[in-house]
Amino acid sequence: MSLTTGTELPAQQNSMDYWLLGATLVLAGLGLIMVLSASGVMAERAMESKYFYFRKQAIFALVGLVIMLVFATMPKKVMYAPVYLWLFVVIGLLCLTLIPPFSVKAGGARRWLSLGGVSIQPMEFAKVALVFYLAYFFSQKQKLVRSFSVGFIPPVVVTGGLGLILLLQPDFGGAVFLGMLFFLMSLVGGTRMTYLFVSVIFGAAAIGLLIVQSPYRFKRWFAFLDPFKDPQNVGYQLVQSFYAFGSGGITGAGFGSGKQKLFYLPEAHTDFVMAVLGEEMGFIGVSIIFLCIAILLWRAFRIALSQDDLRDRFTAYGMALVLGLGFMLNLAVVLGCVPPKGVAMPFLSYGGSSLVACFLCVGVLLNLSRRQTA
Amino acid sequence: MRNGTKKAAPERDQKRVRDWSRAKLTFVGVVFAIVLTGLWVRAGYLQIVQGPDLARLALRQHMASESDRGERGQIFDRSGRLLAKTVEFSAVSVRPKDLADLDAAAAKLAEILRVKPAWIKKKLESSKPFVYISRRVDDKTSAEIRQANIPGVTLEAEHGRSYPNRHLAGQVLGFVGMDDQGLEGVELSFEDWLAGRRAKYAVQRDASGRKLYFDAQGHELRNLRGRDVTLTIDSQIQFFAEEELAKAVTTHNGKAGTCLVVHVPTGEILAWANYPFFNPNAARSVNPREGRNRSALDVLEPGSTMKPLIVAAALQEGLVKPDTSFYCENGKFKVGASTIKDTHSYGDLSVNKIIRWSSNIGAAKIGMLLGPKRLHAYFEKIGFGAPTGLPLSGEGRGLIRSLKDWQPIDTATVSFGQGVAVTPIQLAQAFLILANDGVKKPLKLVLDPPQATTEAPPVRVFDAEVARAVQRMMREVVHEEKGTGRVARIEGIELGGKTGTAQKASPTGGYGNKYLASFVAFVPAETPQYLVMVLVDEPEPSHYGGVVSAPAVRDVTQKTLSYLGRLPETVFLAAGNGQAAAAPGGGVHQDDAANALSTGPGPVLPGGIDAAAAEVVPVPPGLLDSPAIPNFSGMPLRRVVEILVTKGIVPKIEGQGLVVTKQSPAPGAPWPGAEKKQDFVLWLARPS
Repeated sequence: MSLTTGTELPAQQNSMDYWLLGATLVLAGLGLIMVLSASGVMAERAMESKYFYFRKQAIFALVGLVIMLVFATMPKKVMYAPVYLWLFVVIGLLCLTLIPPFSVKAGGARRWLSLGGVSIQPMEFAKVALVFYLAYFFSQKQKLVRSFSVGFIPPVVVTGGLGLILLLQPDFGGAVFLGMLFFLMSLVGGTRMTYLFVSVIFGAAAIGLLIVQSPYRFKRWFAFLDPFKDPQNVGYQLVQSFYAFGSGGITGAGFGSGKQKLFYLPEAHTDFVMAVLGEEMGFIGVSIIFLCIAILLWRAFRIALSQDDLRDRFTAYGMALVLGLGFMLNLAVVLGCVPPKGVAMPFLSYGGSSLVACFLCVGVLLNLSRRQTA
Repeated sequence: MRNGTKKAAPERDQKRVRDWSRAKLTFVGVVFAIVLTGLWVRAGYLQIVQGPDLARLALRQHMASESDRGERGQIFDRSGRLLAKTVEFSAVSVRPKDLADLDAAAAKLAEILRVKPAWIKKKLESSKPFVYISRRVDDKTSAEIRQANIPGVTLEAEHGRSYPNRHLAGQVLGFVGMDDQGLEGVELSFEDWLAGRRAKYAVQRDASGRKLYFDAQGHELRNLRGRDVTLTIDSQIQFFAEEELAKAVTTHNGKAGTCLVVHVPTGEILAWANYPFFNPNAARSVNPREGRNRSALDVLEPGSTMKPLIVAAALQEGLVKPDTSFYCENGKFKVGASTIKDTHSYGDLSVNKIIRWSSNIGAAKIGMLLGPKRLHAYFEKIGFGAPTGLPLSGEGRGLIRSLKDWQPIDTATVSFGQGVAVTPIQLAQAFLILANDGVKKPLKLVLDPPQATTEAPPVRVFDAEVARAVQRMMREVVHEEKGTGRVARIEGIELGGKTGTAQKASPTGGYGNKYLASFVAFVPAETPQYLVMVLVDEPEPSHYGGVVSAPAVRDVTQKTLSYLGRLPETVFLAAGNGQAAAAPGGGVHQDDAANALSTGPGPVLPGGIDAAAAEVVPVPPGLLDSPAIPNFSGMPLRRVVEILVTKGIVPKIEGQGLVVTKQSPAPGAPWPGAEKKQDFVLWLARPS
């Protein structure tokens, strides 16, 4: 109990990383505006008010800000202690999504839980929990990491378990996300390259098998290479996204003036909110988003690199990955660079779970930024 | 062994791993930076390089139509009664894929729309996602369709044109096409004014094809509404003109006819009727020839109605005096190879009698006295050979032979209206000069927009004395013994007129046995206020202007004057009661009159006339002494109330307007006793 004296002392109490905080707030602010613009017309028709989604998103943003501040200021010990609790809670929630009375089915998938009027997407929190777990595992079991049975199997089992539940939902995008998270964490965490290489081969083979199984899935997957070949069907979403970006040009149509959100662009306020932003704010607006992302990731990686403690470093790195992968996968999808899958744009897409989870990630990073070495 | 080394050097191992992790972390960061940069470049490529192409493609799906139009303006008569309005119809469309039961839907639609089920079924079997079944569907039918609630069948609002008075002034108004564009008449000539302006923006539609009007755009669309046109036409007088014209044409088996009523001091056209009638509501289903405004488009040889104009020219030139005599050759006059004939043979005739009895030979001699040069010059001065400048499309110019082509015989024949062709409206314009004491003023068809009539400054063509002399001669035509226009006499008021019985040139050359019977009149004969003209094409067997057209002129004049309160009371009441006695052409046919007057406030007198200034003639004592209630319909309300008040009756008044259309108790009933005096009701033109 007297451990606190020596080792805990050197943590310098720096101020928070205001670059990181600033970029986060700009992104979240733009996100709120874009959610209003993208969902207004649709909400007015489908819901009772055009502010329906905006209002909910604003509430989630407030909740997220509070959670961010809580995580930014809480003692590290408190943050780290319940690693397994986090994991079990997340696994539990994910399992619940498979059980009808609790889960909400939307678009043919059970990805949401309905708890007391609030629907949550456990996958968003699974990412954070996985990062905490992997950071803990790779830092504490550093000596064992390079062994197969103790060092490689447990994280694979945990990640694979989560991924399996996601595949059952089905949330293919989520599973791939977790897989990439695991891969990049393991890469830095010290797992042997051969293990990783082999697992990548296995993963690729599994994905290949899944695709080849159904010609339709194959067609859907590779439609992104030439969406205009079938713009009414498999290429529809992407073509509409391209139309939005193209209509925006350099300066954009002006806030609220976009037309693609008028039921042309599916999921305009969620996964494809960047397309609406591209149409209304043009390349200038898109570049501002890219700049914010760049600042956010630069600060996140800087925080990770400046951590002396391995657990801190891996945790910071993992949080950077959750955000960075989210940004990149979403942008790659809406810009037609990878096959489409449901990945939300951090801070910008409508969705409470994603928003709160992203604020949580930033909160953790802000927490760690105060303890970095000079 | 491996375990051993690890235990032995945990510090070093950890350090190595840590270093590696830093490097790997940096590596991942760099990869992220590269990927992010790549995505940024990709976004720039999409937005800047491919942007314009993509934007064009996107636009195609956003726009329901390239543009939309504001509502078309309305057309009013001079008192603000609606003549043409834009109304909302419904278009019935079907998305065949959404139909639950094609046969049932076809049967139901066929029943409501009153068409063959097979025809609808064929349309429903279309592979197109969207088919129009019927357009311009009225409210009642669309309500039935809405009630039937057939899935897949949708109603969509669209604008259409409605002419609430049906054929009233149909040819003047013209009609519009499917897309609301004016195709004939005022609708065409005021297209730019009436048409709703095109919206610059296109109407957006969402992915489901619904049009989206945002608040601002809705306002903008309202501002795009077309402007209204107010005509000089008075629908009530128009109604009289049409009624009497139809009677004249049908009674005398004519082919067609024209009737014009013009307010002389202002040149405003109060009525402009063409028969056969044309109902612009059914423009697409009738013979398009009926839609022609004959009086503006068709040229005709005016015949004897030309004579007063020739006489006026000769008087103006000082070549003749009203009492100058001409030898009329006992009915046969050889000019070169041709012979000019009169219907009766006359010896010497003074100029006024040449007009009164319409001697061709006399007129020819006066014309020859003038000579081709001066004749031609006067034709030009009175507006023959040139459009009147009325806002009408395709107005005829008339046919005046150029001077060098004139044969000696032409000089003789044009003097009685052969070998020269004018439009009826040109003829009316020429007589307007005589009625206006020799001053040429432009005819007007439109009050608003005011600039619509090319405001030519008044030009004096004849001296006032000359014009008045001709007016007097025309009075003789009606009121003197054996005047050719004596049928047109109206008791209590004097009018001037001139008959015309023009032989029509046959298509084979020469003149056949078809005629154009005309009568032009103005009233009163001195300082005329109204000009009334009736032309009947190819009447048979009787074809004299004085027989065919003069009665119509008389009746139109009488009704118009009584409607305007300008008729001396005795005549007025005689006309009113005449109807009860079923005298033809007597009063206003109540039901029809009420129809024509279905909208708008009461009559507004033509410009310059003050209703209150119209002289008040005391009520003739005979009327009140009669034991039966007279027929008040057609009488001004003010007058009727005056009469009733002397009887101690305060009538209840139903509706709005200034003219009584119906009464209770009915005409002919005994005056009510004291207890029933409250029950006297007068109905006015417009139901409230």
